[in-house]
Amino acid sequence: MQLSVMLSQLAQGMLVSVEIFLLTLLFSLPLGLLVSFGRMSKNKVVSAVVKFYIAIMRGTPLMLQLIVVYFAPFYIFGVNLKGFRFPAIIIAFSVNYAAYFAEIYRGGIEAISKGQYEAAQVLGYNKVQTFFRIVFPQVLRIITPSVTNETITLVKDTSLAFVLAQAEMFTIAKQIAAKEASVGPLMVAGAFYFVFNFVVAFVMDRIEKKLNYY
Amino acid sequence: MSDKPVLEIKNMRKSFTGNEVLKDISLTVNKGEVVSIIGPSGSGKSTALRCATLLETMDGGSLAYEGNVAASDDGGTMHYADKQELKKIRRCFGLVFQSFNLFPHYSVLRNVTEPVVLSGQADKKEACERAMKLLSRLGLADKADSYPSSLSGGQQQRVSIARALAMQPDILFFDEPTSALDPELTGEVLKVIKDLAAEHMTMVIVTHEMKFAREVSDRIIFMENGVIHSQGTPDELFNSDNDRLNAFIGKLES
Repeated sequence: MQLSVMLSQLAQGMLVSVEIFLLTLLFSLPLGLLVSFGRMSKNKVVSAVVKFYIAIMRGTPLMLQLIVVYFAPFYIFGVNLKGFRFPAIIIAFSVNYAAYFAEIYRGGIEAISKGQYEAAQVLGYNKVQTFFRIVFPQVLRIITPSVTNETITLVKDTSLAFVLAQAEMFTIAKQIAAKEASVGPLMVAGAFYFVFNFVVAFVMDRIEKKLNYY
Repeated sequence: MSDKPVLEIKNMRKSFTGNEVLKDISLTVNKGEVVSIIGPSGSGKSTALRCATLLETMDGGSLAYEGNVAASDDGGTMHYADKQELKKIRRCFGLVFQSFNLFPHYSVLRNVTEPVVLSGQADKKEACERAMKLLSRLGLADKADSYPSSLSGGQQQRVSIARALAMQPDILFFDEPTSALDPELTGEVLKVIKDLAAEHMTMVIVTHEMKFAREVSDRIIFMENGVIHSQGTPDELFNSDNDRLNAFIGKLES
């Protein structure tokens, strides 16, 4: 196979990887905030349920979770999800990453001193204003390094979608490698991931610098 | 202007897990009065202030601003006013914290203006003018665009005083406003409070600065073990023949 053909096939796979990456971030970042609220809820039932959910998400392989999300509806409800492979992948990734992000949010929120809440209360801020104007902007700055870590891990984790035979970059690299009986395509895929993460790290660094204005 | 006292606390009680911190505190503050609360650590001074500013809920007694009841007990159970009413009552008072509690992600100016704008008291432009006037009065006009972390403790505390004043409260509480400052910075903050006293701003000040309390107050309250041990004009208290009071004042003055 010509190098240019291989590169164009891998690049197409990369587009799918980027899609998984962006959609997962889009859904898991807000979802994680909601989950962290549940985790910190004063309602013991809510916080226990959410704690259990986080434990499952962090305690079992993401690869297994992908399989469960895709096949469980068929085995449990007899609903065939064939054709919904991509949405299933996005759901599994989002729900998994939300659990990690939730714990990062929680760490950030708990780092904000009680005095900030009290000052806001005395100055007449309501709860929503206090959270979104006073607490959350400070949380963002605290959590950016941890979020960067997770985001970089996510780039590499997109390769797990191969388990559902999604044609993302790693799946394609494996196929070409098998066909050509060479590890070359896998090495090239590795270089693609590295460049991808280089860009991600650069963007996150810019965001971090921007948030460090005070 | 109402002839009701600005602040009226009757028989305030507060316990923390069985530990009775406030036993029976009654305090009336009239318009233009400056009241200092002194007393040893753990005497309940700060807790009384936190109950009065609705940061803690009291377990008994009553609390009213300008005759508007924030909390009262009818034979044992506390009743707090509804959300709307409490919101109105919160506008009556301001609080200056020991640890400033400025919003670090806001410039000095935004720290002062945003609460004013959010409360609907003034639009952005008017709030800015009000804030700049206050900041220049407190010698901070050139710091309007700075962030709190770049200021000294004394400057931060002056900003937080400006932030409280911008809301135009009827009464301003200070919770040990200089305890986090070194002596030099303490001076600049105390001067600001003295100037406010000269303008007859109604204030309640919890402090360990005896000399300052003596100079600035119309009335001093000495608290110990959750009760008001004694109160009076500075002269009455500082010339008292009460042994406990003399022991406390003497210790701090030496």
